Amino acid sequence: MLPLRPIIALAGLAGWLSRVSRQGSGVMVSGRLLLKIAPHAVRTLSRDKKVILVSGTNGKTTTTSLIYHALASENKVATNFTGANLFAGIAETLGRSRNATLVVLEVDEMVMPWAIDETKPRLIVLLNLGRDQLDRLSEVRQVAQKWKTALTRIPPYCVVLADADDPFVTWAAKDWVNVIWFTSGAIGHIDASTCPECGIILDWSKDQSTYSCTCGFKKPQPEWIMRGNTLTGPERKEIVVRTAIPGAAAMSNAGRAIVAASIFKVDGEKAAEAIASVSSVDGRFGKLTIGATTFRLLLSKNPASWRETLTTSALGPKNVLLVVNANTQDGKDTSWLWDVDFSPLQGRNVIVTGERKLDLSVRLTVNEIPHQIADTEAKAATIFGASEADIIASYTAFHRLSKLVKRR
Amino acid sequence: MTLTLVHLLPELLGTYGDRGNVDIASWRLTQRGIAHEVLTIHVGDVIPTNADLYFLGGGEDDAQIAAVEILAKNQVTEKIIKQGGHFFAVCAGFQLLGESFPASGERIISGLGILPIKTVAGSPRSVGELLATATIPIAMLTGFENHSGQTHFLQDLQPLGRIEKGIGNSPESKVDGVVTEQILATYMHGPAFARNPELADWVLSRKVGALTKLDAPIFQQLHDERVATVS
Ligand SMILES: [Zn+2]
Repeated sequence: MLPLRPIIALAGLAGWLSRVSRQGSGVMVSGRLLLKIAPHAVRTLSRDKKVILVSGTNGKTTTTSLIYHALASENKVATNFTGANLFAGIAETLGRSRNATLVVLEVDEMVMPWAIDETKPRLIVLLNLGRDQLDRLSEVRQVAQKWKTALTRIPPYCVVLADADDPFVTWAAKDWVNVIWFTSGAIGHIDASTCPECGIILDWSKDQSTYSCTCGFKKPQPEWIMRGNTLTGPERKEIVVRTAIPGAAAMSNAGRAIVAASIFKVDGEKAAEAIASVSSVDGRFGKLTIGATTFRLLLSKNPASWRETLTTSALGPKNVLLVVNANTQDGKDTSWLWDVDFSPLQGRNVIVTGERKLDLSVRLTVNEIPHQIADTEAKAATIFGASEADIIASYTAFHRLSKLVKRR
Repeated sequence: MTLTLVHLLPELLGTYGDRGNVDIASWRLTQRGIAHEVLTIHVGDVIPTNADLYFLGGGEDDAQIAAVEILAKNQVTEKIIKQGGHFFAVCAGFQLLGESFPASGERIISGLGILPIKTVAGSPRSVGELLATATIPIAMLTGFENHSGQTHFLQDLQPLGRIEKGIGNSPESKVDGVVTEQILATYMHGPAFARNPELADWVLSRKVGALTKLDAPIFQQLHDERVATVS
């Protein structure tokens, strides 16, 4: 095996070259090269670090960032800021984080088994699993099975912070000894009508807050409970959580970040203080200007995140632009549009654009949401004029637009 | 007379936005002023057997098996067929109407047996855009498929479409879906009715007779754009 230090230097150079030649972000190229030269670079690089892995269908970028801020008040921490959550992005992050003692990594759901094996993490944060990019990720239970198998190989000192509200997460984590259960009172689950353990119909309580099965599988008793903005821990101590990011999901992710930080001995109040001012994560809720219109940028990737975003956006400006693409990273199958109830858009000034604007327009037509179609965001801006508007964008459109977000 | 549409077991068979086909059917009837009601039948509800059109969607293994158990009870499906009910079935819903279908762990599951078809495990998974020339008098069919099962006809049956692009029932068959007197089934989700307004109207017209033309050009635009992009 080649010595690691020259490898990192080399990979860094490749990344810099890629940045100046404007082919992609640089992050990907350099990490890819690193793994090519030293396939087990991640294992070597994470040997002297405490690694935290964060994964789930929704909220991983925000949660990762909030954990980073909560820990950074007292530790030397590194993270994959740009949301580069595949093999190369993880390698690159570790490659440039040699001085950090703690590393918080957002990890793609399918990359989790590899990340678990390679980094030997201290903490794994499992958020949720739901339908997303069905053409790539396939069935939800299969992803949960991959997690479950990977968790049998984690070191005994590793803690798993898992969401008890989600039956798939519960099923994946329940056999691990060091699991800390978290609840934010989420109800129901669009994909969990059958028991992940035995396959028969899962018994949900009337209010959809708990689930159980005749085979013995059931919602575990959570140690940490999030209600509104109050987080209650095992010693009944209450922490008031504040977040500058709008929406209920951000609030529960902030709660999780405080719990995660507490595992590394960061005081709850201190962690709450540190994350209260984080307002925009990787462009989310950032402001950008197109024509005379000032837009606020929101990301939506799948039915669960659309529901969340539509609710949050409903409190925003009357103008709203929806952008839907169907590239590989968005999922090439647009059938999920029919799993979203767009009624929260009722009464707003709606324009649709993006590569799949016609799919979206048919969906809105049947949902009885009056709207206009625009060829581009610039055309939409001429319709909105000098006013405020939300843009709700699917992944690839979001990523392109986030580059226009003004840095404060 | 009020037409009754039944959406069967959405929590089990609803992976690919399958609710959409029901919503679109209902919307197209409403636009034409045709009286109808939509019944959504959840797990545990009594399934009416005298309704007009039943919708079966796509689902994961365990959900598909649970759905078959429910639909097999008290010969519900046979009674529906006997009383003249029609089915529109997609993906897992298509498979479970047949003799058998595969599930994880190399299991073979008995289906409802009202279609002489058999689905076997296939590899690789059939995922992607699908284009097919319809065997019924409607425009080119466009859809998205995502299934690992390969479906074979056990008797001479009329497929819904002849594959131009994609896989459909199986790589050898070069066809998609099936059309019988009372059943129309396909691997196209997306949902199929959003991209294929003529298919939606054809399925409805089998129950309500000839339909007036609908002024909803956006459906046609989506259909034409998909066909042009994929071919
Ligand atoms: Zn069970």
